[in-house]
Amino acid sequence: MAKIHIQGNGYKSGDEKSLRSTMESLVGEESDSLGSDLELNGVADKYGFIGGSQQGTVDTAENIPPEVLRQREVKWLEMLNSWDKWMSKKHKKVKLRCQKGIPPSLRGRAWLYLSGGKVKREQNQGKFQEAIQLDGEILFSLLKRVSPVAHRHLKKHKIDPVLYMTEWFMCAFSRTLPWASVLRVWDIFFCEGVKVIFRVGLVLLKCMLGSQEKLKACPGQYETMERLRAIESCYMQEGFLIKEILELQLSERDVEKEHLAQLQSWKESHGELHCKSPPRMHGARAIMAAEPPSRQDLQQKPTIVIDPAQINNSEKKEKDKSKAEKKRNKKDSTLDTPEDQPVPDQSQPMHRETFTLQASNQSLSSTEQDTYL
Amino acid sequence: MDILWQYQFRIILLGDSTVGKSSLLKRFTDGVYSDVADPTVGVDFYARSLDIEPGVKIKLQLWDTAGQERFRSITTSYYRNSVGGLLVFDLTNRKSFEHVREWHREVSEHILPHHMVYILVGHKSDLTRERKVLRDEAEQLAAELGVRYVETSAKCNSNVERAFELLARDIYELMKMGEISARDGWDGVKSGLTAKVLYPAEEEREREKSCNC
Repeated sequence: MAKIHIQGNGYKSGDEKSLRSTMESLVGEESDSLGSDLELNGVADKYGFIGGSQQGTVDTAENIPPEVLRQREVKWLEMLNSWDKWMSKKHKKVKLRCQKGIPPSLRGRAWLYLSGGKVKREQNQGKFQEAIQLDGEILFSLLKRVSPVAHRHLKKHKIDPVLYMTEWFMCAFSRTLPWASVLRVWDIFFCEGVKVIFRVGLVLLKCMLGSQEKLKACPGQYETMERLRAIESCYMQEGFLIKEILELQLSERDVEKEHLAQLQSWKESHGELHCKSPPRMHGARAIMAAEPPSRQDLQQKPTIVIDPAQINNSEKKEKDKSKAEKKRNKKDSTLDTPEDQPVPDQSQPMHRETFTLQASNQSLSSTEQDTYL
Repeated sequence: MDILWQYQFRIILLGDSTVGKSSLLKRFTDGVYSDVADPTVGVDFYARSLDIEPGVKIKLQLWDTAGQERFRSITTSYYRNSVGGLLVFDLTNRKSFEHVREWHREVSEHILPHHMVYILVGHKSDLTRERKVLRDEAEQLAAELGVRYVETSAKCNSNVERAFELLARDIYELMKMGEISARDGWDGVKSGLTAKVLYPAEEEREREKSCNC
């Protein structure tokens, strides 16, 4: 793996983790460029991602010579330096260079420019710093009800929420949880919105600090922070975590109510906010209501052809199953749409097996296959 | 009950993003180095203890801050509770060197009327061919700021130990002289439970103890 060193605020990074690192610079910015269309080679991994090797498998498709990488880096730096000109006059070149692959060391920055996140960030100076701190206060306050023991302990040791929840929230747990759990959390997060992030945070706090027994291990401030940094894997395991967050009673309204309360006390202690603090994002339904799409906007591209016989077959069975049938039938689709991840070619019997396996399992369990369903 | 340390110093790492603060800390606390590094988000923590002199163990509580501008308002609140600071720059990154002054000013202003003990660290000394900051220049800056200067490499494990030790010693000496002391509501310096009396006396007691055994 080539080691890259770049001046300025580029960071050293190997290919392997570049997505993770890059994500860090995007989360919190309004960006939707995380789609897999950025990487065109390779088949979907077991999580339905293309090209990503987030699970730590080292199978680099291309080994670009360091000299070439260096050249590309220089070109990219030039481009980023006069981004407006390049975009207006030489867009084709930008496109081509994206297609060749953005050098890993600059990928994070490049995505920020490409997605418009850079401009958003500049235009909203201070917004995200305040937002994260406010979220921290909301989380902490919600904890009072979920785990009074943990709440009291954190308060006693004056552990500021930003000390433990900054990475949780800014990276939407992608740097905390095991990958399988990250994806399950994100599945629900995309659908139900930010309350899911709060729930995960609350569950983790409760699990780590929720009883006197547990607190014995962390009598002081530092020990507590250390404990929160090394969350026991049993609490982050997909099955356990998902069950816990689904059982936790916390509605959008609870979050918004607390948001308003914390906003009020923020104003009292810090003065007016630099930016408005709009209601938190509450998931797919809220997104659709905010910007009602047309039927055409929602049409799936490429169109998935469904064999009617198969629909009848799996009718009235689990919804999951019919979804999988659709996917299975989608063989030669192109990769233009990020929402349609291709599935590695598997033989039909194999899938049948998967179904029975899935059906016999409780719905929250994790099998290698169920992420396709 | 055994005491694990007599004193605890809280030390903060300062400097632009990507200068290698986290790598420096990982090398010092875990003895490891990795070419692949994720940027720090918010604040991170490490700890290690040092035997500063026979019978005196110092626990260093090390706070790693994100170098990015956007975390600044979060991290500033932790300057005040630190007794020492490593001002880190990247020897191959001119800008990061130029920013040292700003970091120094920002922190110093923030903690007034108190002071922090600093050390200037030129990092990534292994990348000799890409070096953009001369040792002379760095030493000159250190002199201006009235701090020590040391060049380190986490990759080659060069001077890493020394940088932290020098800083810890400076703090310890100032503490002995009474310039720095633990005070209520401040986490920069903490005394372990048994360190009640002054230093020479304590040392004697330690010796006595070992004799009695």
